[in-house]
Amino acid sequence: MQYKSQAVAKPYFVAAIALFVGQILFGLIMGYQYVAGDFLFPEIPFNVARMVHTNLLIVWLLFGFMGAAYYMIPEEAETELFSPKLALVMFWIFLVAGALTIVGYLTVPYAGLAKWTMNDVWPTMGREFLEQPLPTKLGIVVVALAFLFNISMTTLKGRKTSISLVLLAGLWGLAIFFLFSFFNSSNLAIDKYFWWWTVHLWVEGVWELILGALLAFVLIKVTGVDREVIEKWLYMIIAMTLITGIIGTGHHYYWIGAPEYWQWFGSVFSALEPIPFFMMTVFAFNMVNRRRREHPNKAATLWALGTGVMAFLGAGVWGFLHTLAPVNYYTHGTQITAAHGHIAFYGAYVMVVLTIISYAMPVMRGRAANSDKAQVLEMWSFWLMTVAIVFITLFLTAAGILQVWLQRMSDTPLDFMTTQGKIAIFYWLREITGFVFLLGLVLYIVSFFTGGDSKKAA
Amino acid sequence: MSTTELSSDARQQGTPPGDLAIWFFIYAELLAFGVFFLAYAFARAHHVELFNDSQRFLNRESGAINTVVLITSSYFVVRAVAAIRAGLARQCARWLGGAIGLGAVFLVIKLFEFHAKFSAGISLSTNTFYMFYLSLTIFHFMHVILGMVILAAVMVKALRGGYTAEQHTGVETGASYWHMVDLVWLILFPLVYVIR
Amino acid sequence: MNNIENQRKQFIRPCTRIWLALLALTAVTYGIGHMELGGTHIVMLVLAISFIKGEMVAGFFMGLRHTGLLWRAIMAGWLLIVGGGIAIAYLIGLK
Repeated sequence: MQYKSQAVAKPYFVAAIALFVGQILFGLIMGYQYVAGDFLFPEIPFNVARMVHTNLLIVWLLFGFMGAAYYMIPEEAETELFSPKLALVMFWIFLVAGALTIVGYLTVPYAGLAKWTMNDVWPTMGREFLEQPLPTKLGIVVVALAFLFNISMTTLKGRKTSISLVLLAGLWGLAIFFLFSFFNSSNLAIDKYFWWWTVHLWVEGVWELILGALLAFVLIKVTGVDREVIEKWLYMIIAMTLITGIIGTGHHYYWIGAPEYWQWFGSVFSALEPIPFFMMTVFAFNMVNRRRREHPNKAATLWALGTGVMAFLGAGVWGFLHTLAPVNYYTHGTQITAAHGHIAFYGAYVMVVLTIISYAMPVMRGRAANSDKAQVLEMWSFWLMTVAIVFITLFLTAAGILQVWLQRMSDTPLDFMTTQGKIAIFYWLREITGFVFLLGLVLYIVSFFTGGDSKKAA
Repeated sequence: MSTTELSSDARQQGTPPGDLAIWFFIYAELLAFGVFFLAYAFARAHHVELFNDSQRFLNRESGAINTVVLITSSYFVVRAVAAIRAGLARQCARWLGGAIGLGAVFLVIKLFEFHAKFSAGISLSTNTFYMFYLSLTIFHFMHVILGMVILAAVMVKALRGGYTAEQHTGVETGASYWHMVDLVWLILFPLVYVIR
Repeated sequence: MNNIENQRKQFIRPCTRIWLALLALTAVTYGIGHMELGGTHIVMLVLAISFIKGEMVAGFFMGLRHTGLLWRAIMAGWLLIVGGGIAIAYLIGLK
């Protein structure tokens, strides 16, 4: 570890993985509720499990991004973090606030939660992924601002690199677009229009900048390729991201009551959104091929390459499958959507956070890479989780195609619930595969505690 | 090996002028516009009468003059590149200034055209033809602006002596981008204003 | 390659001719538009003219003439695919 203050990343990474486990457990609960609807009713109804699952995902990824930034920025800026203490205080505030929110979801009926947290003063609750009570949302803003202040001040006083600037731009963008979650119009079409300014412009916008920066950082470290080469790739990738993704937001405006031209703009631009992901894949493989050194952390390299491939497959290919308006007309809000959502989030954001953790954790624990035994275990977890997600995607895609056919396209369409009964087999298969994924995650955690001879720097 | 020899080596290897990264960018832009053009063409196939009727109200003269303006601005850029290849930085800057000036003429003519349409109550929602006409030309308009910004940056650097006969990749890079903007219009004009 | 005379011969003079040719072709396209001519033959002519103009700009102005086959092929390919697609769409619209 080049700078002592990089160590603040460790608690962030630990919290991230712990919350990841929570996310998966609630995913498994829901997966079972899909086929046995009364499971855990009324203690944990489906909608509550869903809020916990999705909110935990976002929060643990945020912990991952913050940890990544606290690790990367001092090294890029070549100076200690502005205030490690602030970083640690914010860690605890974020963790406690997050935990209380989850507890709130689980123990308090949602309407009551809304009343007690003054939602009538400034309504922000009741929308997918943004279910957090007002105090939590305000807390997120405070934590984000403190975090941004910390890493911005660090960058200002040190060396500015493409990686740190892109990362900062992505993180500032993340914070700015989160502010749209405070806007809650009484006009449903307008409300939906701006909801996407947080959700789409996060995952198909500024989060891609974060993804690019993290990937570029790890690739520089493990391959030793010239910084200039990697930086040029990074700029091209984020340029394509913004060019395709900003107007690409229109692929969420097809059916919400927005003007018809969005069906054209959204289709044309979002069809091009796979391009930056394709570039990331080529980028990752190209850099590893041209590597100047044999870095002992093989696991991190595997995660980096895997991120490129899975992000392209999940976000790029599966996204493309249902992005054109004429197709989306039939697939909107079906299991096709769920299939894409799972593999896209896993491939792009889960994997890039696991990539940076894979690279940085050993360094923070005093070695260049973990022992062979630990790395092999980690790589097993990579394959188990990744292959599991691929199969989950295939099962949900099959479910979705059948659902679209039976419920929307056939000459004698069935109603929603009857259709759900007919695609249940895929839900069973998905649930079983979900346990394989959990096994992968368990092995991942075990790899952190696996001994053996650690690797020194090459 | 002197840098002059290096550039002719590169030319022998067959790489296009300017930074390779801009060429990637140029291809991405061509892809985006290409998709848009094809979308127009196939949308037209489903609404032939609507497109034919609405197209008649476009200002073809503005479109044609703008085509001439852009082609000439590209020619000026060619002259600018020729100048810097001969080491004549000031001449290069003057030609670039001319190209930027013509770019401004293009924008002004376009603004008059848009003003006329908007005053007549035409918008993106009027009909499919106008949706395409406005989106395509506004999208292109923004690229003209970007191209002018790039050329201006190159011009300033040329005036400050930042380029020589041996080293002027920036000029060729900016030039290539501008030619792409011209090339796109050369398809757009016949497609939207003429083909019926 | 460095002095202005060489540039004039190798680059400027051919490009000046290309510029004039582009203006002439533009006049033809405008004329067709002005007379509101349509139909398959006219449209194929306009598309052919556009292809030629595109190749001129790409080959001479952009300098692709002096580059390797791949670069010229990509540009020609783009012009053909877009032009061809437009042609196909036009024919579909005629039915």
